[in-house]
Amino acid sequence: MLFALFPIGWGFVLSFQKASLLNPVRPFVGTENYRKLFTDPFVKKAVTNTLIYTALFVPSSLILALGVASALNRRIRFIRFYRLAVFVPVVASTIATGIMFLWLLDKDFGLANWALGKVGLGPFGFFSSPSQALPSLVVMTVWGWLGFDTIVYLAALQGVPAELLEAAAIDGAGRWSTFRNVTLPLLGPASLLLIVWSTISALQLFDEVYFVTKGGPLHATDVVVYRIFIMAFQSGLPLAGRGAALAYLLFVAIFVLTLGQFWMGNRVVHYQA
Amino acid sequence: MSATAIDPRTLPGETGMVEPRRLAWLPFSPWHLLLFPMALVMLVPLVWMVVTSLETLNQTRHFPPILWPGAFQWSNYPAALRSAPFGRWFWNTTVVTCVVVASNLLLCSLAAYAFARMEFLGKKVVYFLLLATLMVPLQVILIPTFLIVKQLGLVNHLGALIVPNLANVFGIFMLTQFFRTLPIELEEAARIDGAGRLKIFFTIVVPLSTAALATLAVIQFMWTWNDFLWPLVTIFNEQAYTLQLGLQSFQGSHTTEWNLLMAGNVMSMIPMLVLFVVAQRWFVRGIATQGLKG
Amino acid sequence: MANVAFDHVHKVYPGPTVAVEDLTLDVGDGEFLILVGPSGCGKSTALRMVAGLEKISSGTVCVDGRPINDVPPKDRDIAMVFQNYALYPHMTVERNLAFGLRQRKTPRAEIARRVGEVSATLGLEELMKRRPGQLSGGQRQRVAMGRALVREPKAFLLDEPLSNLDAKLRVQMRAELKKLHHRLGVTTIYVTHDQVEAMTLGERIAVMSAGRLQQIGVPQDVYDRPANVFVAGFIGSPPMNLFQGSAAEGTVRVGSFAFARTGVRDGPVTVGVRPEAFRPAADDADGRPRIEALIDVVEPLGDEVLVHGTVDARAAQSGAEEEDAMLLADTGTRAAVTVRLDPGMRPEPGERMPLVAEPSAIHLFDVERGVRLS
Repeated sequence: MLFALFPIGWGFVLSFQKASLLNPVRPFVGTENYRKLFTDPFVKKAVTNTLIYTALFVPSSLILALGVASALNRRIRFIRFYRLAVFVPVVASTIATGIMFLWLLDKDFGLANWALGKVGLGPFGFFSSPSQALPSLVVMTVWGWLGFDTIVYLAALQGVPAELLEAAAIDGAGRWSTFRNVTLPLLGPASLLLIVWSTISALQLFDEVYFVTKGGPLHATDVVVYRIFIMAFQSGLPLAGRGAALAYLLFVAIFVLTLGQFWMGNRVVHYQA
Repeated sequence: MSATAIDPRTLPGETGMVEPRRLAWLPFSPWHLLLFPMALVMLVPLVWMVVTSLETLNQTRHFPPILWPGAFQWSNYPAALRSAPFGRWFWNTTVVTCVVVASNLLLCSLAAYAFARMEFLGKKVVYFLLLATLMVPLQVILIPTFLIVKQLGLVNHLGALIVPNLANVFGIFMLTQFFRTLPIELEEAARIDGAGRLKIFFTIVVPLSTAALATLAVIQFMWTWNDFLWPLVTIFNEQAYTLQLGLQSFQGSHTTEWNLLMAGNVMSMIPMLVLFVVAQRWFVRGIATQGLKG
Repeated sequence: MANVAFDHVHKVYPGPTVAVEDLTLDVGDGEFLILVGPSGCGKSTALRMVAGLEKISSGTVCVDGRPINDVPPKDRDIAMVFQNYALYPHMTVERNLAFGLRQRKTPRAEIARRVGEVSATLGLEELMKRRPGQLSGGQRQRVAMGRALVREPKAFLLDEPLSNLDAKLRVQMRAELKKLHHRLGVTTIYVTHDQVEAMTLGERIAVMSAGRLQQIGVPQDVYDRPANVFVAGFIGSPPMNLFQGSAAEGTVRVGSFAFARTGVRDGPVTVGVRPEAFRPAADDADGRPRIEALIDVVEPLGDEVLVHGTVDARAAQSGAEEEDAMLLADTGTRAAVTVRLDPGMRPEPGERMPLVAEPSAIHLFDVERGVRLS
């Protein structure tokens, strides 16, 4: 009786998540789509942008999250409030966040330019400036995801056995030394997970680009998935195949990168006995 | 007993030393000086959104920005509601989300139970395949899935949002891991007592799994509610928009009417925020255990 | 090398819960002192206060004459072995051993020398490149000890280091520890809940209960002359038999058993007799006071025979009993009794066995405060 239910359950899953990976090209033109990708200047820009974005996003989220988690790892009054405050942004949808930041970073009326002006900086163009748009996206997305990374780190920090920290204290390690030699290594697995997760999601950045900058200004924030979307759904069918091709390449890149990260990670990270 | 009695006033990592100095010159922990500004920074965009939603249009056009509007323009809210079918969008999103969450809870748990406790032909292969699908980014499946949905005639229909998401692989994995941690003796005892598989599942396994199920429900809810790309690709009819899509089009048509925009934004965030406040434990738990399992 | 002194030390947690109450105790230079008591008696807390892992609520702890209340753990020059070893899981054994020395900026050559010596002493040479996760329980325990030894501290603090080892290994390690102490002669404070460990290892033992020091002394003294009912019931296995008795005009009565004892005030009194102090009275016709035991269970142990039964008397509590055991203790109006007999004696359950006890081996305790009377 139960056997009848399961196929239904994961049948659906399978059909949609492991859908046919053929390139729907009409007519079938072999590897032409892939070749065209390499010469497409927009694609090149998108790849560059994506890489820059990822290189900025991943380290800053992790380092900030670690710092914040360390600060949150104590039992003082209102700590729950602080933890919640850090996590709330995660709950906001990408669109909601986009709207908030569009307003906040508005170059004429935004709060950011006003606050920065008070300390003598700016005014900045933010999303409307080709050179600042990408970093602004980084700030926006780091804000949005910080809570997630922080929770992971916080849980990992709380998993460090108190005895180890006591032993380190008795062994003569000061606060920083304990952190560097005992805590940080023990956070290895969590860090690896976050690096992999953050990298994958950074490489797949889309919602914010589509909504906030539409790839602009002047393709400054054009990223790979955005390109895919434009090619597949907005340029008329002839390019749909190319979109699929690019998506496939992205998949391969992510796959390879992830494997690489795990492999390197397992050499460096030691799981607790 | 050793190592269990830790003075609650000092904490792991802090020696017995820190306290006297701290208490000497501040009535509270100095950490508050760091944490409070940090919390503020995290909340500023949200707070500013709410403040702006209560300003008049002219006030929003003011620079330097008015930090505190004298009178609250509550009328922005009904105005936003009137200028776009928010109600409809809200309804659409609710329907989709509820169905998806419910379906996930049921199907994922059944599938997970099968993986955790039952043996069947090709089990390892299927498990591995499912694992593989997790690695495939959405964008690769985007086009093929769209084509399938088109074949099913669901384009522009809420079904397009529901059907592909009836059972999320992530949910299957999470629950499989969880079920494995339940002591099998309980189920064995029930078997000896004569209960059939399905009965065991519903009367023993499910009640014990409320925490994991709650976590799954909450996470799936958030994903579905906030989902943007997939609805963007499949829904073109304004009446069938989800809240996210709707917000986006609302922003498109009211680009500089920030006060209305913020009002709309606030309204669409409220359900998620409420859920969050009510169910924060499950959110946090879900993420924390994810991290620990690596 | 130093002595450690507790001077009216208190530890109070917000609650208020008193973990340690008015502890005054001196550990001599080079002495091996054991803090023993049931869970929650405050022994670990006391140890951790010496280590600096717990704040001292009031009173002073001195090492080598210097008060260390406000000195951070790393400056106290003490080393600790934790119950769960607390080895750094991501470091090799070698780095675990060297960690404390490196933190103190000890020169490399010195570190190498000490680590080499200690690993030779503890037999860790082959394990140097392994990680804790790859070691057995016994090996980890030795590494934990090594980490403490390598520091050459003023005092060693050991917090139930053997309790995670299996029985056989525990006995072995006990002997090793004792040998080590003879060789090195470092002041050591050792915490355990196992009174057998306490008796076999300690030069002196300090019995604690509910935060208070009950008695301190050389193991045999504590055994022979327990200062109060708690110590009497806690030290010794099987525990001392305790009965309710009454004293009147120089005679003490326990059920149908009576003996002479002078200097005791009239009134109720708690009477204690160790299992080995009872002798079968079969051939005794010398009129010594006898009591009759109705035998329930006979446990032949090879080198002795334990007989459990009941006598016509009422049982008394020492406060050191296990919670659940209390259910089985009082069998109605008769008191449970345990007697140690020579091997070869084979009484049967259901038999009635007459027993005698040497009056000098009978302990008397005040009923109200449990203090020893003599």
